[in-house]
This record gives sequence, structure tokens and C-alpha cells, in this order.
Amino acid sequence: MENRIDKRLNELKGEGKKAFTTYMTAGLPDMDTAIEIIKAQYEAGIDIIELGVPFSDPVADGPVIQDASYKAICNGVKLENVFDMVEKLRQDCEVPIVFMMYYNTILHYGLDNFAKKCQNVGVDGLIVPDLPFEEQKPLALALDACDNATYLLQLVSPVSKDRINMILENARGYVYCVSSMGVTGQDKAFYANVENYLKEVKAVSKIPIMMGFGIRTAKDVENYKDIIDGAIVGSYFIKYMESNNYDLEKIKEYVSTFKKEF
Amino acid sequence: MEKYYGQFGGQFVSESLMNTLGELEKAYKEAIEDESFWKDYDYYMKEYVGRENPLYFAKRLTEKYGPKIYLKREDLNHTGAHKINNVIGQILLAKRMGKTKVIAETGAGQHGVATATGAALFGMECTVYMGEEDIKRQSLNVFRMEMLGAKVVSVTTGSRTLKDATNEAIRTWAKEAEDTFYIIGSAVGPHPYPAMVKKFQSIISKEARKQILEKEGRLPDAVVACCGGGSNSIGMFAEFLNDLDVKLVGVEAAGLGIETGKHASAMAEGKPGVLHGMCSYLLQDDDGNVKIAHSISAGLDYPGVGPEHSYLKDTGRVEYVSITDKECMDALLELCKLEGIIPAIESAHALAHVFKMAKTMSKNDIIVMCLSGRGDKDVHTVAAYLNGEDMNR
Repeated sequence: MENRIDKRLNELKGEGKKAFTTYMTAGLPDMDTAIEIIKAQYEAGIDIIELGVPFSDPVADGPVIQDASYKAICNGVKLENVFDMVEKLRQDCEVPIVFMMYYNTILHYGLDNFAKKCQNVGVDGLIVPDLPFEEQKPLALALDACDNATYLLQLVSPVSKDRINMILENARGYVYCVSSMGVTGQDKAFYANVENYLKEVKAVSKIPIMMGFGIRTAKDVENYKDIIDGAIVGSYFIKYMESNNYDLEKIKEYVSTFKKEF
Repeated sequence: MEKYYGQFGGQFVSESLMNTLGELEKAYKEAIEDESFWKDYDYYMKEYVGRENPLYFAKRLTEKYGPKIYLKREDLNHTGAHKINNVIGQILLAKRMGKTKVIAETGAGQHGVATATGAALFGMECTVYMGEEDIKRQSLNVFRMEMLGAKVVSVTTGSRTLKDATNEAIRTWAKEAEDTFYIIGSAVGPHPYPAMVKKFQSIISKEARKQILEKEGRLPDAVVACCGGGSNSIGMFAEFLNDLDVKLVGVEAAGLGIETGKHASAMAEGKPGVLHGMCSYLLQDDDGNVKIAHSISAGLDYPGVGPEHSYLKDTGRVEYVSITDKECMDALLELCKLEGIIPAIESAHALAHVFKMAKTMSKNDIIVMCLSGRGDKDVHTVAAYLNGEDMNR
């Protein structure tokens, strides 16, 4: 089966459109509502959903996602529950799902079991921010053994420079371009020269490139629209949902507005 | 340079830090091959830190417990613990790399104080991340850091101890690596930190090995050191690793007892994991979340351990044991009364194990123990403990 990420990004390419991705922590405010939120976003035109699997020590995340992760853990959200959630979602929803999670959660589950489970329930991609290229081999081999049903997505940062070629050579799905130094959710503090950096990545990449970290609205990425193939909103989206009491109509409105303006 | 110790070690950091680590490794390699770097290091070790410090023959302990007990007096260093050895090394490196700011994490506050001291000495801006819980436990050290001109940031996430202070330091580092050097205080973190900390702390065993040969004409039967992240212990073991007849023992904190689950012994549960840029033994729950460590000693209150220690455990070269809060407090008071030395609670863990070992050894045997720090910082904790207050959350 074709990976849902590829399928969706190809469709967008054909239509000459950009991809829009949101990030949400799995299990907030609760498992069933989270599924409803994903479906609502899908109806509103979301292209890919990043689902954060909570971890006790999210070192790549700023305060918003740290808090969300902490709340989810307090609510008892475990990796197994997140798999169940995707399985349930897959009964009637084909939105591409990407897990964003820390390596220890995978390691603890067992690499082979984890890869199989992802394949079985229909997880399309993985973002593991504390697993740089050089440390990816064991996980990549496990995914490979499952016909690469799930892609290990690659991240590049503004200071990746001479590492970009190496990282992108066999990259699949899309490239996650981190737009600023540090952690998620620092409002609009893009790296100086972010434009040149994005161009550099775009020139090398054979697959679509998406920009993330510090984005709130389509306006934030307006200047880079011609370079990037998509945008990812995380911390702002989490705050937005919280402050709107997880109202599905409001969530749909945000997604469709971003999509339209983008 | 080798990034791994068997299956342990590595560089589990975000992509943003990979080039930073590359630059650090390069600068570190050049520095340690440069004589002038070591000349500077030696100068500060002697003139500023006050090395070499004594290998003290503890006569009254020896009389009571049997084998000859020697204490490597890291508590007599400037700032009161072994932490300064590593800070001077890393800060000289930071200067070489042209960095103007340093950041550090701290548990007991000894590494924070050492970093604040080094930063004052070399005119650098210094920020120290410290868990809110530790700030309460170690108010004296917080005040010392502030007197030395450092900014102490209270970390209020997670368990509010060393683990979370380290998370926050890593986040800041990822943001500011261009002009900021992260001085890691323990033998933990991504490569090359564990190697670097070992290198700068190995001065402990370089001296101790020479001193015991001078005093006794032979190597000791056992070398003992406490082990949280493991910086004093890796420094104490370093020069003895190839002396296979010398038994090496690392002492972790058993808190209220391993069986209670309230402890800080990463080795005891024997499950490797990834935290703070490294793969090593790690306390974790059944979903791979990091468990909160428990120890009366803020300096040992860490759920992980340096990757080389994990490797040394697996190869069997070092034996790792653990000591409870109670055992360590008894030993602490014993050292005060018998030798007139107030040790840090961390170091008292090693001492408690020395007393246990002594029972199985003969009068002619020699034990060398690292007295990693002095206990002035801990007097409030000791007082509360003696008053029967609940020290272990």
C-alpha cells in the first residue's frame, strides 16, 4: 500500500497546493475527543496530523508541549493507548498520521515490536527529535523489516549546513525544516537568514519540505511560501484548542482558514 | 574518538546540536593534545584549587574497622568538592573556543558553585539551572552561586531536581549554542562529555595512585567512590582500571531501600534507556517514562548514570552496590566523630560501604575511598534528618 503521506503530498503537488500539518498531544483532552478532533480537522482539510506521544522528559519541546505532555501522562496516556487510538481512527479515517515522540519510548517498547505495531495500526511516519541521523540505524533496520510501511522522517536545522546532503540522501515522506534554534513554541523567532537556509534544503531535497517551529498563522510563513511545500503548527495549535475548550467548530475554522490563506 | 562504550553512550540530541557537538569534539581533541592547555590546567589545579590534596590515612577508622582506610581528600579543594577539577578543564576549553557565556545544571549545588567560581575567575557570564526542590534543600549553595555573580534559574518542571535542571540546560543550550558553552558536571550527556569529564576528573586517581604507592609501596586492594551521574567515581577509577588486582566499587544511593522503589540506583533495575543525550542504565516505568529518583543526597538524586559506568558494570570491571539513606547518615556521623571530618552526604554513601566491606577484609588490606566533598552544605539536611523529618518526599 502506498504510504498515506506520499499519497497526500502527491495529490497536493498535482493541484499545486501546499500541505498543512498540525501537532497535537495524544490523549488530550481525552482519547475519544482526540479522535473527534482529528476527524474534524480532516473534514476541514488538514493534510497530515502529527500526534505527540507523551514523554516524561521532552527536551526538544518548549513549555506548551511540555505541559501538554505532562497532562497526558497524568491522564494515564501510554504508547499502547495511542496505538489503540490510531487503530480506532483507521476504521473510517485515512488522514496521514505521524508520531512525534522521544527515542526512549520506542526503545522501551522494543524496536521490532514498535515497527510492527506501527505498520499494523497504520502509522505513516515518525519524528524522533532526539534521534539524529547517526543514531538512526537500529530503528531504520526495524522499520525496513516491515517494508518501511512507516517512514522515519528527517529533520534539518538552520545549522545543519554540511550535514544536509547526508541527511536527505535517502529521506522519505517529507523533510521537517526546523525554523529556529532551540525548542518548539518560541513565538515567531525564526532563525536569521531562514530564507537562505530553506532554499538550501529545497535545492537538495527530492521530497517536499515542510517548515515548523514557532508558526501560528499562514501569515507567518507568507514570505517563504514559494520555497516550502508545507507548514506545521504545534504549540500555537495546542494553546488555541485549550483556549477554545476543544470546540470542534473552532478547530475546523482554524484549519480551514490556515489552509485557505496558505 | 569512540562515541560508544559497548552499547552505551552515543549522541542522542536534536539535529540542532549535532554540529555543536562536532565542533566541541574537535576543539577538545586539539586541546588535550596541546601542552599549553595542560600547562594552564595544571597551573589552576595547583595555585587555585589547591592540589594536590592529601591521601589521608584515617587512623581511628582503621583502628575500629580493620583494613587500612585512606581518604582522598577532594573535600579540601577550593569550593569544597571534586567538581572544580572538571569545571576548570571545561572552562579553559570554552575560552579556547571563544565562548563568552557558560551554563550548567546542578543537583547538590556543588557543580553550580564550581561553575560560578570558574566563570568569575575567567570573566564569563554564568547561568545555573537548578531544580526547585534542590534549591530548597541546598539554599546555602544557591546563595554562594549568587554571591559569585551567577544567575540561578529555578526549574519547576517534572521532579524539580537534577534531571529536570539538565533538561532545561539542554533546551537553553540548543537555543544559544553559538556563544554559550554548556559545562556538564557529571560523567553523563552526549559524547564527548562523558570522555571529557573523565579526563578532567582523572587527576583524582592520578594523584591517589601515586600517593598510595609512596605511602604503602603497593596498590590498594579496593577503591571505593560514590556514584550518582558518576564524575568523582570515574575520576577515582580511571587510573586503576588497568590494575586488575584492584577491586573497584561504585556506590549508588538506595534511598529508602531498593525494594521500596524509592531510590536512585540506576544500575539496580538493569534497564538501559536514552536520556540526556546518552544511552545508559536508566530508571524508567513500564511505559519508558523516566522514573523519579529518591535520595537524601541531592547530588546522587539522578535516575541515570554515566555511560562508561554502565559499560564497566556489564564487563564486570567495577562492582556497583547501593547504600540507604540511613546507612549513609550513620557513616556520616561516624566520620565526624572519629576523624573530625564532616563529609558531604554523597561521599558518606561511599564511606558506609567501606565500613561494610571492611568486615570481610583483613588488617593488612588497603581501601582507598574518594571523599568527594565536604558536608557544610548539608548541615540543614542532617539536622532535619536527626529531627526525624521526612527527607525523602
